[in-house]
Amino acid sequence: MSAKDQHDSLHPLEVHLLAALCSQSTALSDVKLAELTPLDPSQISMALGWLQAKAFIRIDSETITHFVGLTEVGRGYLAIGSPAEWILLSCSAATQDGNSLTVKDLQAKELFQPTELSRAIGLLKKEGAIQMVAGGAIETTSTPSPTTEKLKGLLGQLETATEDLSVFSPDDQTLLKQFSVKRGNAQEPFRIEERVERAYMLTTEGQDVAKLCRPGATEEISQLTPDMLKDGTWRNKPFRKYSINLRPPRVAPGRRHPYREFLDLVKRRLVSMGFQEMRGPLVETEFWDMDALYMPQFHPARAIHDVYFVKNPTSADKIAEPFLSRVAEAHEHGGSTGSTGWGYQYDRERARRLVLRSQGTAVSARTLAANPLVPGKYFSIARCFRYDQVDATHATDFFQVEGIILGEDINFRTLLGLLTLFAKEMAQAKESKFLPAYFPFTEPSVELHVRHPRLGWMELGGAGLFRPEVTHPLGVTVPVIAWGLGLDRMAMMALGLHDIRDLFSVDLEKVRTMRGRFS
Amino acid sequence: MPTISIFQKDFESLLGQSASIDQIENWLMLVKGELKDHTPATGEIRVELQDSNRPDTWCVEGIARQIRIKLQGSPVAYPFLETKSRPKRTITVGKGMEDVRPFFAACCATGYQVTEEGLAQLIQVQEKLADIYGHKRQTVSIGLYRLPKIQFPVTYGLVKPEEARFTPLGMTEKLTLKDILTVHPKGIEYSSILADHPTLPLLWDKEGQILSFPPIINSREIGEVQIGDSELMVEVTGTDLRMVLLTLNIFAANLADRGAEIEPIEIVYPYATDWGKTIRTPCEISEVQKVPVHAIESALGLPMGVETIHQALSAYGYQVKASRHTLAVRLPSYRSDLMHPIDVAEDVAISRGYASFEPIMPSQFTVGSLSALELTSDYVRDHMVGMGFQEMFSNILMSHEDLVERMNLTPADHPVVEVDNVMSLNYSCLRSWILPSLLRIETASPRAFYPHRLFEIGEVAIQNLSLELGSKTVIKLASLVAHPHANFSEIHTSLDVLMYYLVQDYTLEPTSHKSFLDGRVGKIMVEGKSIGLIGELHPEVLEAWQISMPISVFELEVDALVREER
Repeated sequence: MSAKDQHDSLHPLEVHLLAALCSQSTALSDVKLAELTPLDPSQISMALGWLQAKAFIRIDSETITHFVGLTEVGRGYLAIGSPAEWILLSCSAATQDGNSLTVKDLQAKELFQPTELSRAIGLLKKEGAIQMVAGGAIETTSTPSPTTEKLKGLLGQLETATEDLSVFSPDDQTLLKQFSVKRGNAQEPFRIEERVERAYMLTTEGQDVAKLCRPGATEEISQLTPDMLKDGTWRNKPFRKYSINLRPPRVAPGRRHPYREFLDLVKRRLVSMGFQEMRGPLVETEFWDMDALYMPQFHPARAIHDVYFVKNPTSADKIAEPFLSRVAEAHEHGGSTGSTGWGYQYDRERARRLVLRSQGTAVSARTLAANPLVPGKYFSIARCFRYDQVDATHATDFFQVEGIILGEDINFRTLLGLLTLFAKEMAQAKESKFLPAYFPFTEPSVELHVRHPRLGWMELGGAGLFRPEVTHPLGVTVPVIAWGLGLDRMAMMALGLHDIRDLFSVDLEKVRTMRGRFS
Repeated sequence: MPTISIFQKDFESLLGQSASIDQIENWLMLVKGELKDHTPATGEIRVELQDSNRPDTWCVEGIARQIRIKLQGSPVAYPFLETKSRPKRTITVGKGMEDVRPFFAACCATGYQVTEEGLAQLIQVQEKLADIYGHKRQTVSIGLYRLPKIQFPVTYGLVKPEEARFTPLGMTEKLTLKDILTVHPKGIEYSSILADHPTLPLLWDKEGQILSFPPIINSREIGEVQIGDSELMVEVTGTDLRMVLLTLNIFAANLADRGAEIEPIEIVYPYATDWGKTIRTPCEISEVQKVPVHAIESALGLPMGVETIHQALSAYGYQVKASRHTLAVRLPSYRSDLMHPIDVAEDVAISRGYASFEPIMPSQFTVGSLSALELTSDYVRDHMVGMGFQEMFSNILMSHEDLVERMNLTPADHPVVEVDNVMSLNYSCLRSWILPSLLRIETASPRAFYPHRLFEIGEVAIQNLSLELGSKTVIKLASLVAHPHANFSEIHTSLDVLMYYLVQDYTLEPTSHKSFLDGRVGKIMVEGKSIGLIGELHPEVLEAWQISMPISVFELEVDALVREER
């Protein structure tokens, strides 16, 4: 772009600054620029930013100046004296009246914070202006307190305006710093502020453009207005050209949560494959969470360290019949399921114990018991809980995507067919393989591994045919496929996340900037 | 389930042939094993075994055996199960044992000289079986002994805690049983198994030498097997006879596979058991079961024919007798996991390989759909997003402090569903409302540029002791605006727009609530029922969350907005 073009797209504020900089041979500070242009400080600061971004100007030098002024606390000291001054006055007044004051008495007046008082007492004791006598009383001595005197002077000096710190003597500077606000201690009379003064110069490119600048020479339209359109005045003046390649201001749009968006896609795909949504409660009984799934009550994964138990109440009132009795029989000796059962004494009390749902399959168990359609397909995206230490790969609560298929034509090969479909539809995988697996509630059981286009071979899910010990007691006589998919890894990869905790991040900036497209 | 270490050389010698790591990984399908790690320098392979009903696969011997059977196409015959002659050694179970630790099984293994590798594997399988299968020795525990030091007959009986003294493994002095339970690390770890019993189990021989104190610790003298030993005794005690017998059978098969001759021992009980009063161990523990051919064919979806099924089962270790429509099958002695014909069907599929079954699509027509609640939630989410709100998504286990105290409430104001076995106070309650989830975000995000306009829609649990489960799960929506001028009117506008498009009449009814500023909080009323709250948050709440920005919010139950008449 030529200097002319660049000049044409300047904002009027920029024109003023460039002209001012061009008129002087030295670098100029923003204070100086305010004197040379009709602009106010905020306009100058804005235009300086734009010009730096365009590399028309650069910072020539930076001068740091420290200014000292009074805080609210300091203004308070002006009115009633600093704590040390007040203590000296109060105590000598008390002595004259024949009384004495203790530290407690001073605190009781509530004029100062206890920390302010204790520091002042320490100072006065150190300088010998007071001494503690029997009974904790404070007595003034004839020795003056130089620090107290100096503070009084400094407070007076700063009453009307802030001052450059460097005008004070080195001793005073030390004292001012000692009694100024610091991180973690706001109860101080002084505040020292750093002011940075920058001087700006034109760059070579900036000089070329600046030479063309004549503030106010041509009147340009910056914003087209309804009035101009009404009266036609837009015809008479040129429109200022914009620098269209500057970054626009950032806004935060209304937006779905990206992980939720991923689960929405999963949900849509499952509905498109003919699955109906099912839902279940977060708080479950051990019966529906585990017993109905033929997990024996002595199963190693049912201990206190695997599942969250509920405190109030600890148990449900009852478990619906005939399910409780039929499941109990299946566990004990197989009942009418054709199984030998686990061969142990089933504990019906324990079945009522309340837990936080530990597996999505609990929702399937409830669906089986509620007269499901045959043929029927169901899915749920269920929040589940595991008793795990939270780290990059373990969350306390997480989602399981799982479901069931009921039908006369269901068998091991249709199970493999379904999994092949999942591999294609859910992971866009062209290659998949089946491995024997173990789940307490299915037989045969399969693990589905897929070759993901970007992640390589990964386990996508587990599935199987529900054992008759699961289906028969719940009143289902047709074969049932049970399946579950582990999709979080795919979601995390698409979103560029490496820590499962980031799926539920509390960092708004992270959530606002998280993005990824799920194919 | 367990992850174990095996060594390639040892595995190959048990298998009887060499094998590449790829071959091994592929064969692991036969035992539901997954190769986790391989160190070529040492030959160490880490394998995770999945099947909690197949403890025989939790060791290198069992893995190699299952593969060997597949390669040879027929089961392994163990002669010690066949011999009919009466064992020359006897172990007597003492009276009263039925109330303490009732079951016992044991055998001898001679002629296999224990190598360093073999000893490591013996100890590994002993630990995995006792820990996982035996529920930390509660139901099953195992002891190994140096046979030449033992004078038969041996007694498994009860003694008083102060009565017997011996030097346990890991110690140099004699201790009484009582001392072992309070001083020895294993005694302290496992003492709860024997809690409250006035007399304790002990194993001693004809000479009165103490072999061990089951299930706690062996004697140092007799019960510490060493490299080079070639005559061993294995003993299993426990509370479930089938599990005790199975465990011994696994040990017997493992040692036999390593070349030992197994000599059964006769166990004489003073009381009746499911296997009688006198049991020769090891022994067959599974019955012959009849399985219809069609049951397997229909489960697998493939008419394979009886001959194919017979072959597949033989090549997986079963003893099979086939007729035209029925198979009489018996599990090998080292397994006890056949509950239903479907279990046999899976073994047929595994034996033949899952890859040999051609997938077919389920063909029946079904209609997919979302629940009315999910549809309503999605509709609400769309409108919140359209109004410029960022959707958030949170963990729903939270601290009691976040849900109640930080909201300026007391437990009496606001009961929540709490976890009994708390691991961390941060995850000790199910959330009862969503607003605290959004405030966690505000606390963490003061540097994210304002305005903040957030919402979350999700499940919460509302405690209600009159319900069967003591609580109910509902979906709530919470929405928040935070910026220097955030106020009631702004959030009211959002609620009003949302309700307009939900085609839902509502009114606001002034109320008081300690989380909100008085006079700036209302109940959201729909058809005479309160379905939520709207208001400006009380500065007490903002301070408790260390938030320095005004916030106005509403929260309501989405369940109450569902129209069922679709």
